[in-house]
Amino acid sequence: MAPSDITAELKHLKKSPGFWKETWSRFRKRKLAVTALLFVILMGLAGLFSPAIVGAKPVVCYYKGHYYFPAMGYYNPTWENPVFNRDKFRKRYPVNLKEKDPNSWAIWPLVYQDPVRRIFENEWPGRAGNPTSEDGIPSWLRKPSEETPSQLLPAINLFGTTSNGIDVFAQMVHGTRSALMIGFVSMGIAGAIGILVGALAGYFGGWVDAVLSRAIEVVMCIPTLVLILALLAIVSRPTIWHMMAVIGATGWTGIARLTRAEFLRLKQSDFVAAAQVLGVSRFRIIFRHILPNALAPVLVPITFGIASAILIESGLRFLSFGPEGPSWGSLLKEGRSNYEMWWLIVFPGLGIFSAVLAYNLIGEGLQEATDPRLRDGGRD
Amino acid sequence: MFAYLVRRLALSLLTLVLITFIVYGLIRSMPGSPLTQDLGSLDPGKVMSEEDFQRVLKTYGLDKPWYESYGIWMKNILSGEFGRSFSRKREVSALIAERLGPTLLLSITSLLLTYLLSIPIGISAAARSGKLDERTVSTVLYILYSFPSFVAALFLQLFLAVRWGWLPLCYMTSDNYSELSWAGKAMDIFWHALMPVICFTYGSLAYYSRFIKSNMNEVVRQDYIRTAKAKGLGPVRVLVLHAFRNTMIPFVTQLGLMLPALFSGAIIIEQIFVWPGMGGLFFDAVRERDYPTIMGLTLMFSVLTLLGQLLADVLYAVADPRVRLENK
Repeated sequence: MAPSDITAELKHLKKSPGFWKETWSRFRKRKLAVTALLFVILMGLAGLFSPAIVGAKPVVCYYKGHYYFPAMGYYNPTWENPVFNRDKFRKRYPVNLKEKDPNSWAIWPLVYQDPVRRIFENEWPGRAGNPTSEDGIPSWLRKPSEETPSQLLPAINLFGTTSNGIDVFAQMVHGTRSALMIGFVSMGIAGAIGILVGALAGYFGGWVDAVLSRAIEVVMCIPTLVLILALLAIVSRPTIWHMMAVIGATGWTGIARLTRAEFLRLKQSDFVAAAQVLGVSRFRIIFRHILPNALAPVLVPITFGIASAILIESGLRFLSFGPEGPSWGSLLKEGRSNYEMWWLIVFPGLGIFSAVLAYNLIGEGLQEATDPRLRDGGRD
Repeated sequence: MFAYLVRRLALSLLTLVLITFIVYGLIRSMPGSPLTQDLGSLDPGKVMSEEDFQRVLKTYGLDKPWYESYGIWMKNILSGEFGRSFSRKREVSALIAERLGPTLLLSITSLLLTYLLSIPIGISAAARSGKLDERTVSTVLYILYSFPSFVAALFLQLFLAVRWGWLPLCYMTSDNYSELSWAGKAMDIFWHALMPVICFTYGSLAYYSRFIKSNMNEVVRQDYIRTAKAKGLGPVRVLVLHAFRNTMIPFVTQLGLMLPALFSGAIIIEQIFVWPGMGGLFFDAVRERDYPTIMGLTLMFSVLTLLGQLLADVLYAVADPRVRLENK
């Protein structure tokens, strides 16, 4: 056969599916893992759009001839237009908007509640304020009491309120944002460190491997929570970003070890030898040739890592070692000092559990989709 | 074997020095010192004068840069001195010894329970693989595996202690503990330990049951199992004597990796149950900036972790004659 025939024939060959495509098609067959993935996406959307789901600031409002987006203030306080501060709104939008500009209009979040403060009587015209302490039972469990004065509608607290009358549902929805963000960002950091360390150790071997393996061992030996507490204590006022950095800086060892093992295996393969013969640079071989093939198995410990990062976040907040702000862990902390208010423990507890369960299911699905021992008839 | 052990121990020693050096540097760069933490809680009238402050710094050895203090600490460790706790004015070794008992009580009980329960659960799950009862048990185990232990601790407290009043809420002993008889004391601790032991156990129970089951599922496809069945052995004999013995190999290595967890306790669970264990000691030491205690605990944890890894490798070689330590 002439060489041109061979190239022509090669063009007709169907391209074999890539590693990623194959992994995805295997992952998709596992219904539970896909359900968990959908749940996580849903939770991510709830976190992302939390100010539009529950909040006490309009998503969009038209005020004195301009459009504003006050709900953005939940993401970052400086994103709330100072005009409302200047006009002395004192965070009471519904009444003040009508009072100061009769022509104003606003689109409100689905539920009018706030994650950091109590809603007062008539703040939303005609609605009662949030109950405090033990009256804060979820509103669908409240008995219609005789003493409710006048024509006020009862307050809506899906998951009850804290002892200060802050809505639990609002705190949980807004807490999703920080939990998921910490999960993703910290594992992004851990993944970057772990993959880099593992790739270098696995590809170069020799003394590079010896030094990096020692580093992995050192970090692995220090108990995680010990290291995190010590690192967090260095900054006197830890923010959410410090927390992400610290969880990321301590959680990379498993990823590094797996990447190293994958690189040790893959650097023996023919395509790497071919690339080396062609004179491709080491950098390119590591990141363009080997890494894409090593990445799918490495996703497994990253997924499990997100679950444990969420656990660590809520645990740290529970121990009051984290920043201020609404979170699942701080609700549990408050529940622990008020056992009578069971809703402070049950709802956030189930929230943490379902998030962890979902990530574990996804991780397991990925593991079965990428592990050759499990995927080829390994299932019963 | 001997040469391997010596090499491993030498490497571990190097790792140990690195770990303690890093942790010492870390804790010395935390803001506040044991002294300023003290001052904050005292009334403002008792603020120390500058000379007094320097004098106390000197007695604690905090006037030197941290790497020099580290050298001194290292020298003391080599002569068997853990130092004295700043905030509790006692020997660190005595503090650790005092906390070790309650921690071991929980961790050893939970380890025994885990092994006693997970082996039969795992084997029977493998035997009835795919049947309805196995699926139910496996699902329950998976849910337990994902259930965060500190959330479980709060749920248990909420229902068993507060709502139904069956078990004491927290602490290791009741108020009238000292008046009780010997048996009464034992029962008292038993009731108090019940909830923490459940929290320590259920997660690892679920993990190991799944671990044994999946290993068994792999082993039962091997040829020698078919041989055993073919020569007419009963299903129990095949599963327990032929299959399970071979799943023991990965199981045994896990023993070594559990070593540090036996001694370290759990910070959050101990905090929730107000259990006087190692986790609580460490947590308080970090908050009080009690450097000698933090260092003593860190040293202990890292020695145990390194020993555990070594033990896991050695056990692996003992359990599986195909593994040669020298090649690793």
